[in-house]
Amino acid sequence: MSELLTQIAECIEFGKINKVAPFPPQMKGQDGADELTARAIAEGVAVQDILTKGLMAGMEKVGIKFRENKIFVPQVLMSAKAMSTAMMHLKPFFASGEARQKGTFIIGTVLGDLHDIGKNLVAMMVEGNGYNVVDLGTDVPAAKFIAALEEYPGAVIGLSALLTTTMTNMDSITREIKKLKPETVVAIGGAPVNQEFCEKIGADYYSPDPQGVVEFLNRRIA
Amino acid sequence: MIKEFSFRFDELVLDLPLLEQSLGFGEGPLPEPIDEYLAEALAFAVDLPDIRCAYRLVDLDEPVHRSHKIVAEGIEFHVGHTVRHELKKSERLAFFICTAGAVISERSKALLLDGDPVLGYVYDLVGSFVAESAGDKMQEILLEQVSSSGEKITNRYSPGYCQWSVSEQHKLFSLFPDRCCGVSLTPSALMHPVKSISGVIGVGKEVKFREYRCAVCSSTDCVYRQIHQRSVMA
Repeated sequence: MSELLTQIAECIEFGKINKVAPFPPQMKGQDGADELTARAIAEGVAVQDILTKGLMAGMEKVGIKFRENKIFVPQVLMSAKAMSTAMMHLKPFFASGEARQKGTFIIGTVLGDLHDIGKNLVAMMVEGNGYNVVDLGTDVPAAKFIAALEEYPGAVIGLSALLTTTMTNMDSITREIKKLKPETVVAIGGAPVNQEFCEKIGADYYSPDPQGVVEFLNRRIA
Repeated sequence: MIKEFSFRFDELVLDLPLLEQSLGFGEGPLPEPIDEYLAEALAFAVDLPDIRCAYRLVDLDEPVHRSHKIVAEGIEFHVGHTVRHELKKSERLAFFICTAGAVISERSKALLLDGDPVLGYVYDLVGSFVAESAGDKMQEILLEQVSSSGEKITNRYSPGYCQWSVSEQHKLFSLFPDRCCGVSLTPSALMHPVKSISGVIGVGKEVKFREYRCAVCSSTDCVYRQIHQRSVMA
């Protein structure tokens, strides 16, 4: 059983989606996350174990390797694709309560900014580590974050910006969120922001990389 | 006077080895299906109808070395120490806008949102390289124009890099007519189409062109530095 979970973790780590997928070259022709997850469920492996010891274990390695510049965006996207393929098998178990996600993370690129690759990477990494992710997209005003918080009480908010001209909108959005829902945890990220800016606007956490957000969420709410 | 150009893809010189390195798979051939994705995106780029560039050569209102700012056409540009230093011997400035166009920008966006994010990322990268290559081509044309009077050009510098605030892009765009080359600017200084570049090039008899422009800049998280580092590592 643990061998199967290890194989699933490796598929996520190296981005092996399914048997027909040619990537990665060293796993060509082998079963991928799709087949192995289906097999694990059929063999009666606890769905929570598939999530935590298979999928999440693999995604954690992806996050660490990306932080250490050992892999780059395309490899992360391949891993995310393998992850989402496997997650399709687990969706019914989340609905039934047999598998549990750790919490909800609402993410969006702030008002005025249309960059989404970095935001998507964070969303994928957080989802791959066992969280329900609500992606509000780009150019997101405070009202939309607040509306999502009404729907998902207690969720953590993630704000992304790539421009010095739009990072200032993180300030107003954080203030509006904290004004209406002071208990809300707000994490920020993006090329122009740093810890000093995070403290200045009253956000709770800044991370220069997606894995940092995962580790923060694990410490804070998991 | 504004000079405007449209380029065909086959007129551009893309640095393909650097493009492949930028995908991050290290030495050797790209693995499947990334090689096919890159081939698809490059084949798509061949038919791009809207690769365009424009530049405007203007005289400086005052010499760069006498001021902490750059003043041209009555507009004060606060370009930061690095860019000002590189432009200090300029006698004229060429402000420019270049774009890979809306077609590849929208194709990349659509794939990233609803299709295949990996393929979308490859299109995004190809779009960036097309915009930069169009910038290279525009720079060649500019050099040809000014070299007849014995002038040289600097590298090109863009708002958002080398500590030049991206918000200054509004000043730069005010030197061009609305939607020049089909490029517009949002209030937050984001260019549409997104695969576009803008900036300034110094022109003069004493200016220098640097083969490695990151040497003059202290930014550590800039995309140009990351690409350069990867090419050095490969």
